[in-house]
Amino acid sequence: MRFVKSPLSFSVGACVLALVSPVLTLAQGVGPATLLHPPPDSWPTYHGDYSGKRHSKLTQITPANVHNLGLAWAFQTGQTATIKSSPLLVDGILYFTVPENIWAVDARSGHLIWRYTNPPTKGDHIGNRGVGMYKDRLYFMLPDGHLLCLNAKDGTVRWSVEVADQTKGYWTTMAPLVVGNHVIVGVSGDLDNLAGYLRSVDPDTGKTQWQWDSTPPPGTPNKATGGMTWITGTYDPKLNLIYWGTGNPTPVLNGTTRPGNNRYTCSIVALNPDTGKLAWAFQASPHDTHDWDAVEVPVLVDGVFGGRPHKMLMQASRNGYFFVLDRTNGKNLLSIPYGPVNWALRTDKQGQPVPNPKKAPAPDGVLIAPDEGGLTNYRSPSFDSRTGLFLVDAHPSYSLYFAKPADGTYGWAGADYGLWGKGVIEAIDYKTGKIRWSHDAGPHGSGAGVLTTDSGIAFTGDAMGNILALDTANGKTLWHAGTGAPMQTSPMTYMLDGRQYVVSGSGTVMFAWVLPQTDVHPKAR
Amino acid sequence: MGKVQLLALAATFLAAVSYGRSQAIQTTPSSSSPGLQSQQVKKGASLFQQNCAFCHGRDAAGGETGPDLTRSRLVAQDFSGDKISAVVRNGRPEKGMPPFTLSDTDISDLVAFIHARRMEATLHPGGRRGVAVADLQTGNAAAGKQYFQGAGGCSKCHSPTGDLAGIASRYKGLRLEERMLYPRGVKKRITVTLPSGKKLTGTLAYLDEFTVGMRDSDGMYRSWPTRAVRYSIDSPVDAHVALFPKYTDDDIHNLMAYIQTLK
Repeated sequence: MRFVKSPLSFSVGACVLALVSPVLTLAQGVGPATLLHPPPDSWPTYHGDYSGKRHSKLTQITPANVHNLGLAWAFQTGQTATIKSSPLLVDGILYFTVPENIWAVDARSGHLIWRYTNPPTKGDHIGNRGVGMYKDRLYFMLPDGHLLCLNAKDGTVRWSVEVADQTKGYWTTMAPLVVGNHVIVGVSGDLDNLAGYLRSVDPDTGKTQWQWDSTPPPGTPNKATGGMTWITGTYDPKLNLIYWGTGNPTPVLNGTTRPGNNRYTCSIVALNPDTGKLAWAFQASPHDTHDWDAVEVPVLVDGVFGGRPHKMLMQASRNGYFFVLDRTNGKNLLSIPYGPVNWALRTDKQGQPVPNPKKAPAPDGVLIAPDEGGLTNYRSPSFDSRTGLFLVDAHPSYSLYFAKPADGTYGWAGADYGLWGKGVIEAIDYKTGKIRWSHDAGPHGSGAGVLTTDSGIAFTGDAMGNILALDTANGKTLWHAGTGAPMQTSPMTYMLDGRQYVVSGSGTVMFAWVLPQTDVHPKAR
Repeated sequence: MGKVQLLALAATFLAAVSYGRSQAIQTTPSSSSPGLQSQQVKKGASLFQQNCAFCHGRDAAGGETGPDLTRSRLVAQDFSGDKISAVVRNGRPEKGMPPFTLSDTDISDLVAFIHARRMEATLHPGGRRGVAVADLQTGNAAAGKQYFQGAGGCSKCHSPTGDLAGIASRYKGLRLEERMLYPRGVKKRITVTLPSGKKLTGTLAYLDEFTVGMRDSDGMYRSWPTRAVRYSIDSPVDAHVALFPKYTDDDIHNLMAYIQTLK
């Protein structure tokens, strides 16, 4: 931890930290131990931990008392951009973002500690998913493809490096993943024929350590570009592999110039975090022509499958398939649709869906399920090991896809139109793919992520802007509150001062929910 | 040269040489000089890339979920941003478009850019994305009529001489096909039974797990906790949803051919 600028802020910070930490040690931001075993008073990385399960061991809020849940505080960003980030919590401070903005907010009171606003940048401002943290530094990506390193204590910038060329059409949105001495960043860019890649940079200098390319350079004959890497991956420390989803190929809707499977687009890849070397790859959508990025969280679960213990990876993919893989080698254990899917003929020997050529976009249109937003999208699912249920915000939907030669072979290269869709929170039994329960979440779709806790609650949201607490076992509603806008992010939770907080963003407001003091500490007045 | 720069250049050029609707956004005579207007288009192009391109495509000709604005009827009817501004400011929540808080100047710039794009698309047809009426003529009307009366079950609710008479004159091409497959925004009738046993009927105005709202015949809004009342919703449009898993693409093309005969 560096204390360069202000001795005062150090002493204040130290006092805060001393109060936060049950053991009276000076907090050091985020170190490897915190990332490997996040304590209950922290949420040190996008998914909360490396597994991507978005499951908390906290049990103060239970199905029996959740009806008493109320607002602890609400933080208004005052921005127009919707909150799409998952906050980090480190040393009692929450960090969350929208494009070009970071807020550091007291996790107890919701008051602002500092705010960083970057000067306006070019590039797509579609969203920002949050920051990554290493020691006392934050890592934040900008619409113009720059990665910033900032001091967590006051939001001052240490350095900035360009990791993607905005002038070519890239932009960046994802929350960097810190693994050991690596800050791993992904890129976005669907509007142009660009190669996707994942890059590891040095946390101290921003210097590139390695880069893994998902597709060959633009202009390579008969090869797809694309395969963007825009959602934070997961990590298995024992196998020393990171797992990442890659996006769709480009041109997006016209596949004629890119015959074959278009590796490694729409794939789940396992890479060595020290070298960027590919260990294995599984393709969720070979030769995609529907914009179904396979970037959805690759959730790591240790458990029994087919009667034997397995190190598994699960993904509810945008293309409508739920996949269970052996994450040691990428071998498929289960591939099954979790909603209406009409574009595949079958799955092949590797468990990869085989696209029906008749369902490629056509001049007179084809009816496709799900729609281009997919059966789910970037918001996190959650895995509850107590019930073996994989909870996902699903979006059963139908759409029309068009492409004709006049649409060309650059960028979108076609057109698609959603016809109808709705939101359903689904609980998938990972052993069979059967839907154990489904909870209607309203017309069009919800867009909320899911958080489960060890007490058996699933926090999520509906299409109308209600935050919901559902019974994980059966999907019944236990509690709700109207927030004024649909949740476009994934809830997280932490324990501070003996109180469990659940934090969810809706629209431009971040909400923190708690039980009344009297429920938590009956003797307290 | 990046695509954005190329685009901005093209837009600047067009704005400079053409005196179409986009010029009408200027309010003072002095500001209608081509130079200033091209600057506006340039600024609008930059704003468009940041805020709109993800959905509407970098060239406004459609992209991820968002329609082709160069063919949009609303854009064609827009004068000085009188229609576009409202959509930008309020969004179209029912179609997934969020509202944007932008200054009047920013919106004028955006409008200038969108009109410049429309102008270019009109001058250079053929090379852009979109669905033309001509694209949707591959079906067989006789087979479509058979589907309408038979397997599709359409005639259970619709009549070519009743509610659908002249439908193909009111809507064309993709708009017609979208409406045929799922008409958006159709009002649903609701009957609410109060604890007293009294029944109220009206138009469904809001529904989630917890609250049900309706407008009665006087246009008054009323709502109840869903637990406190019984209610039933008449939603014949759901029959369209039930058809989605049953259609073949040929069914759709044939049905479209038939519907297009209902002029």
